[in-house]
Amino acid sequence: MELNIFVQHFINALSLGSLYGLVAVGYTMVYGILRLINFAHGDIFMLGAYFVYFATIVYKLPWAVGVVLAIIGTTICGLLVDRIAYKPLREAPRISALISAIGVSFFIENFAVVVFTGMPRPVVQPPILMKPIEFSNGVRLIPLGILVPVVAFLLVGALLWLLYRTKPGLAMRAISFDIETTRMMGVSVNKIIALAFGLGSALAAVAGIMWALRYPRVEPFMGMTPGIKAFIAAVFGGIGSVPGAMIGGLLLGFVEIMSVAFFPTLSGYKDAFAFLLLILILLFRPTGLLGEKLEDKI
Amino acid sequence: MEMLKIKNLNVNYGAIHAVRDVSISIDRGEIVTLIGANGAGKSSVIRAIMGLVKARAEEMIFTSPRDDKPVSILGKPAETHVKLGISLSPEGRRILPQLTVEENLNLGAYIRDDEKGIAEDMEYVYSLFPRLKERRRQKGSTLSGGEQQMLAVGRALMSRPDLLMLDEPSLGLAPILVDEVFGIIREINAQGRTILLVEQNAFAALKVAHKAYVLEVGSVGLSGTGAELLNNPKVRAAYLGG
Amino acid sequence: MRRVRSLTLTIFSIILFAVFLNKAPELLNGYWQRILNLIAINAILALSLNLIYGITGMFSLGHAGFMAIGAYVSALLVLSPAQKNAMWILEDIYPWLLNVNAPFIVSLILAGLVAAFFGLLVALPVLRLGGDYLGIATLGFAEIIRILITNTARLTNGSLGLKGIPAYTTLFMSWGCLGIVLLCTVCMLRSNFGGVLRAVRDDEVAAKMMGINTFKVKVLAFTLGCFGGGLGGALMGNLITTIDPRMFMITQTYNILMIIVVGGLGSVTGSIIGSFLVTTMLEWLRFVENPITIFNFNIPGIPGMRMVIFSLLLIMVIIFRREGIMGMREFSWDIFFPKPKAKSKAPREKSETVLEVQDVKLKFGGLSAIDNLSFNIKRGQIMGLIGPNGAGKTSAFNVISGFYKPTSGTIKFLGKSIGGLSPNEVCKAGMSRTFQNIRLFGHETVLQNVMIGSRIRQKYSWWMTLAPFIFTDVIREDSEVKAQAMDLLEQLGLEAFADEEASALPYGAQRRLEIARALATKPEFLLLDEPAAGMNPQESEELMNFIRRLRDEFDLTILLIEHDMKVVMNVCDYIQVLDQGIHIAQGTPAEIKANPRVIEAYLGAGASEGGAA
Repeated sequence: MELNIFVQHFINALSLGSLYGLVAVGYTMVYGILRLINFAHGDIFMLGAYFVYFATIVYKLPWAVGVVLAIIGTTICGLLVDRIAYKPLREAPRISALISAIGVSFFIENFAVVVFTGMPRPVVQPPILMKPIEFSNGVRLIPLGILVPVVAFLLVGALLWLLYRTKPGLAMRAISFDIETTRMMGVSVNKIIALAFGLGSALAAVAGIMWALRYPRVEPFMGMTPGIKAFIAAVFGGIGSVPGAMIGGLLLGFVEIMSVAFFPTLSGYKDAFAFLLLILILLFRPTGLLGEKLEDKI
Repeated sequence: MEMLKIKNLNVNYGAIHAVRDVSISIDRGEIVTLIGANGAGKSSVIRAIMGLVKARAEEMIFTSPRDDKPVSILGKPAETHVKLGISLSPEGRRILPQLTVEENLNLGAYIRDDEKGIAEDMEYVYSLFPRLKERRRQKGSTLSGGEQQMLAVGRALMSRPDLLMLDEPSLGLAPILVDEVFGIIREINAQGRTILLVEQNAFAALKVAHKAYVLEVGSVGLSGTGAELLNNPKVRAAYLGG
Repeated sequence: MRRVRSLTLTIFSIILFAVFLNKAPELLNGYWQRILNLIAINAILALSLNLIYGITGMFSLGHAGFMAIGAYVSALLVLSPAQKNAMWILEDIYPWLLNVNAPFIVSLILAGLVAAFFGLLVALPVLRLGGDYLGIATLGFAEIIRILITNTARLTNGSLGLKGIPAYTTLFMSWGCLGIVLLCTVCMLRSNFGGVLRAVRDDEVAAKMMGINTFKVKVLAFTLGCFGGGLGGALMGNLITTIDPRMFMITQTYNILMIIVVGGLGSVTGSIIGSFLVTTMLEWLRFVENPITIFNFNIPGIPGMRMVIFSLLLIMVIIFRREGIMGMREFSWDIFFPKPKAKSKAPREKSETVLEVQDVKLKFGGLSAIDNLSFNIKRGQIMGLIGPNGAGKTSAFNVISGFYKPTSGTIKFLGKSIGGLSPNEVCKAGMSRTFQNIRLFGHETVLQNVMIGSRIRQKYSWWMTLAPFIFTDVIREDSEVKAQAMDLLEQLGLEAFADEEASALPYGAQRRLEIARALATKPEFLLLDEPAAGMNPQESEELMNFIRRLRDEFDLTILLIEHDMKVVMNVCDYIQVLDQGIHIAQGTPAEIKANPRVIEAYLGAGASEGGAA
């Protein structure tokens, strides 16, 4: 394979993987604390994309403003989901919350169809992000391809800083191991859970915005498949682990892009790889790459 | 001066009536101990005080020496207790295994914002338990049982509680460590903290306690000073079945 | 009498319904007939997913995949060669497939069987996972099926799908299939095997101790459920006449999941009611997507609104009525009649080393839970195992009963080594136990709990329960077991509770029920883990007599863990003492009471010489 093409694939894999990673982080934080697969997370990601679309393309706001507004709007939606659909079910069996999550996912998707219509809408990419940079050895890169992983890594870095260097972060890590003990220390558990939802949604919003720029369009069901794949990425990395989610996302991105790059005949099976890998990982290393063992009640 | 007053406390787990009409009074500066065989309901009493289990009682009133204002803590959620000045080192230590020793201690000080005071208290805990200082960057899961117990006590001290509750601090410790732990309990008490101690190791607990209650299947069988109960043949009967 | 009445009413309603179906083509237009068909198909799908999830407790999100398999198998069999030739445009169909053809009924059965086969393939590796992981793995599997169908165009015509499938799914066909599925399901769930399925859901650990190979049971239930999925998919394909891979996305599974949640997880009646409500509601809600004219205002249809309202309803159901419409209850004609109190009575009739524990060690990671434990129990003995918290008593129980494998050492039961056997095998060898934190099958009645304990002694196979009217062994053996269970309940003074849910019993009765259930496996050796925990002095007094009676009446050897020293000292012939994993003493109660090491372990160091004398 020519260097030029390989570098293209590499950058593609890196940016797809880091997008999966950003979404996966949200899954992993919520699952780590509540043991809940937040099926609505992929749809939160979709909302982020739509908000930025409306802010910048429909209402012609500058990109910087649009992005900030989209992140804020998405975060509020994420918090509302927790407050309305999950919080009343904290003491209920976990399956109830899971079904509520499926309901919320349905709701957001179809609400989007009602409000935004089901038609895919094209996103106009800012030209500055699309102007190729050419290197002397023939490698051409599009700034967007570099921007995506850089932003993702910066954000995950910031999240890690928050988790490991601040008090709310300490509480969040503590809660995921032992809610009762953490409460005894005076931590208000619901606030910390809301923080986890808020942060996860903000990251999903950024991922949604960058996704919309990369595949320049938005549609109401765009969060479904990336959402499920990001959850798989979180399982790869070891559910509950933030660095694991990022690594899992990258791994998935590379598997998808590279398998198609090297074996173009398999491109139809691209989506199956993620699931096949998932089943294999679950069978041979159920805790994922960086995961701690989750205790089963026996 | 009374710090904690509990009248007719009852705790149920489903159909099990674990605590029946237990009344306890703790004065400022005291070490009070609750002893009794396994399953007598000791931990349930302490968990009820901390708000970790649903409980019924005629009254459960805590008076903090900070403002001398009596507050009912019955039915209050656990996270509010630390702010009032009550903290608990729970049974089984409940160290957060993936957090470092220092992070565990910091979590104990979660409600406080005075960084200088926190740093002082951290040094104080390290002076009580020098082993923790050596291991302050290690994860909780790598500590030995005795070290975890020290960490649990230290973490409960980090909120500067007026009332420190210790649930089975000697459980699973080698005899030499048991002596050390009880020595430290005395020391903490000597520095002005009131202590409620739940213990299976009755002998050691009675030796340090000013006042003791013996629980038998959920209700208070005997009470008195530590020295009185130490010489009471019924205490032995309560443990070994007479 | 009651049974005759119920049977008559059931047959009468079925005839009425059949008459209605016969007239339906004249009474109803095509649209309503289609809805009626969909209700039946959805009910089949819901029943099969409910069997997997609601009854047996396996969280599966893969149903759409099995539906897809069934739909394609059936469609490929009923399509004519000419139709196939015309449809495969992009790639040629496999020649062997072109001429394969089968009648509709055969295609339905094959659809179910092929789906069941794939279900089995999935179940064997994947069911080792639990909870959410199982859900995600099955979801992944369903997606893989879908992608395979899209990409194997020579077999499936790929993303173009299949069109012009003959509309063989008539009202009689769909409701007939539902009738058969319903009959088999109800029969199975009413047999003792059905109790076993629910027992696995309620408490897998306890089920193992009843001698049940829970993995096998789970694989069975999953495979059966997949059969239903395939059947439902096939009926669906022949109703809609067009299928393509996009029809079988995860949304399809969610739809079925919603039906069983709305109806009540674990309730067969609920699945039927749920499919009726959800199907009609989804159709009825179409009005919000159609343009309406009120007076002179034209309100345009709002696409998507239907699902918005629907998902809101689902969230509200789960928040405000979590258990669904039926909960776990079932429909019974008896609700229309006053309840008679039924009782059955039938009379019942009724030194070597039983257990040899030698040098047993148990380590978790580096931590030693049991350090060198050795003791023997003779037939008819009541042995106590005592020690302070964390001494390793329950670990010792778990090693003996097969939940943990000893790190080293041997355990012989009735002369045979049992170290390393699984709990269900240990149970079959003649050992049974209770648990510290009572583990009953909480949603089952008291009688069912005991009957599940007898399942290992029954000879009939699970598949016979699908048609007990043919394989009458099921009925005979179940009624035998029932009578025995009633006797047991009577002996333990629980007969008054026979039809109560186990979780509703008072605490002391729950303890006794757990023992009754253990006795139903007909053990020679019984392990009791803290039988007196949570009892008041009077109750524990009764317990002492009860334990002695157990030994005498049931010819048992008993090993018990207990903290209530009064019970231990009075009831045990011999006592073993553990402290922090170390076997520190053994002897008669009097010896133990006087042993300084024991006193020290219980009262604390120094107590034995100290003041307490």
